[in-house]
Amino acid sequence: MSRKASLQLVLFVVLCGFTLLNLLPITSAILTSVKQPIDAYSRSLSPWFEPTLEFHRQVWLEKDFPRFLKNSAIISIATVTISLSIGTMAAYQLSRMSVAARPILLGLLGMRMFPHILLAIPFFVLAQQSGLSDTYIAMILAFVAINQPFTIWLMRSFFADVPAELYEAATIDGCSPWQTFARIALPIVRPGLWVTALFGLLLSYNEFLLALVLSGPRTKTLPVAIAEFGGEDISYWSLSAAAAIGITLPIVVFVTLLQRHLVRGLSFGAVKG
Amino acid sequence: LITPASRSHSERVQSTRSPLVVQRRSTSRVFYTDKSSLFLLPSALVLGSVMIYPLLYAFYLSLFHYNIGSGTRSLIGLSNYSFLLGDTRFWQSLTRTAGIVATAVGLEFCLGLLIAYGLYQLKYGTRALIVFLLMPNIITPVASALFLRWFFMPDFGLINVVLMNLSVSPPDWFGDASWARLTIVLADAWQQTPFVTLVLFAGMNTVDQSITEAARIDGAGTFKLLFRIMVPSIRPLILFVLAIRLMDSFRFFDQIFVLTAGGPGTATETLTMYTYTSAFRLLEIGEASALGVLTLLILMAITILLIRFMYREERGAF
Repeated sequence: MSRKASLQLVLFVVLCGFTLLNLLPITSAILTSVKQPIDAYSRSLSPWFEPTLEFHRQVWLEKDFPRFLKNSAIISIATVTISLSIGTMAAYQLSRMSVAARPILLGLLGMRMFPHILLAIPFFVLAQQSGLSDTYIAMILAFVAINQPFTIWLMRSFFADVPAELYEAATIDGCSPWQTFARIALPIVRPGLWVTALFGLLLSYNEFLLALVLSGPRTKTLPVAIAEFGGEDISYWSLSAAAAIGITLPIVVFVTLLQRHLVRGLSFGAVKG
Repeated sequence: LITPASRSHSERVQSTRSPLVVQRRSTSRVFYTDKSSLFLLPSALVLGSVMIYPLLYAFYLSLFHYNIGSGTRSLIGLSNYSFLLGDTRFWQSLTRTAGIVATAVGLEFCLGLLIAYGLYQLKYGTRALIVFLLMPNIITPVASALFLRWFFMPDFGLINVVLMNLSVSPPDWFGDASWARLTIVLADAWQQTPFVTLVLFAGMNTVDQSITEAARIDGAGTFKLLFRIMVPSIRPLILFVLAIRLMDSFRFFDQIFVLTAGGPGTATETLTMYTYTSAFRLLEIGEASALGVLTLLILMAITILLIRFMYREERGAF
């Protein structure tokens, strides 16, 4: 083997080793979720045990998790629908006003950066006063607001790829501003819409602090439920592991769908990977 | 902008200079004036009523002594602020936050840079590896915090079982003040290093290959290439990723909430955790709002410093 090829092999093995090490907490939770308590509470490292799906069954058939999943789904889907519609329009406009857009974009970046705890307090008080606590509406509104900066930034990065000449041609051909947006710009950025929608779903699905503050028994989402559940008695270890693994599964689907766009989405549209 | 796919020289050189610059492709865009700013209206309405208004309301609340449990509410002006600025718990949680953030972000950057460079040098299997590497970053933060909690759990957690099998007595990961802080740092690093890696890796792919080739022919070794060519070439991106990480870890909440809830005692109580406790455990809404406002001011100061620094270093990095 040449020196170069053996170096590649060493590099590959080292990186794989690191990745596996990195995945250990997840793998060990997956194993716990299919272990009988006697195997879970064991101090031996033996990999042999009798797997069981009993705890996964209990989580989804006997506990309230289907309800929490429904809440999570309703809130995330409504959030993304609203956030993407209004965010796309704003992003389109911002992509067409280059100089004046700068302060607005910086302001949006600032909104993404500021501590959510500072929003959680007034949200909580306002929801209490208006009787909106523990309602979908309050949670969807809050989630839309914190999703906006991200949606606008990411969509803007897609609109930025549309050549301005196209808009000029459309205007000359007599398109109204709305037609230019809906008939010319939107079809071009369609892949971007999907990417942004999926990332928006991921963000709302994962949101914890605001959900913790605004939700109640009726609107509890999966992250809030799992935090309460897993934080409880350790004698339910296998059961909470099954729940935590269960709520992670949809995300594996997200990642597979988004593979090629991960860099762009995670970096706020700043890096086009 | 940065596109590893495009191989044109001029584009790449331009891209390494400014990842976030506003594109100006034709002059018509600069002079674009249209009455269609109506497009901004829905978003502006939502942001105004659900973001700006609550923010102002939080400022307003911070001027009150307001306990939502007992319902007492009286205007006390800036007393909440003067109380906090004289409060050791506030200063301790501030220095603690700064310590945790600095250690975590430093660790993430060093590790991320090394792994990204390893991936850059790797010829095959990169894409599959990235998906697996990224898992801890993508999964629900609460779930990943639970995974770590079980991983570090006394007696039965995997790491402790391994240590005990090696007859090393494991440390008290959550119960001892300094170990708990380290566990929090590790938790943040575990979750966020993949993000840093991914962005840096994408940046390295945009570096012009003729430059790296030339350096290699001139006899630059692997690490000389990294520190003399790669790092300077992706400098704006490095600043970008550090800025994002700095601000995100500063407000990081989910992991601490699940792992230690600020304990033992107040050993891992960051500013966000302190604010949460005083608002939702002690129900002191006024004081908590003042804390939140102070956190915001500190973050803003850091952001402004960073942006100015970036502007000085690279015109137009932001």
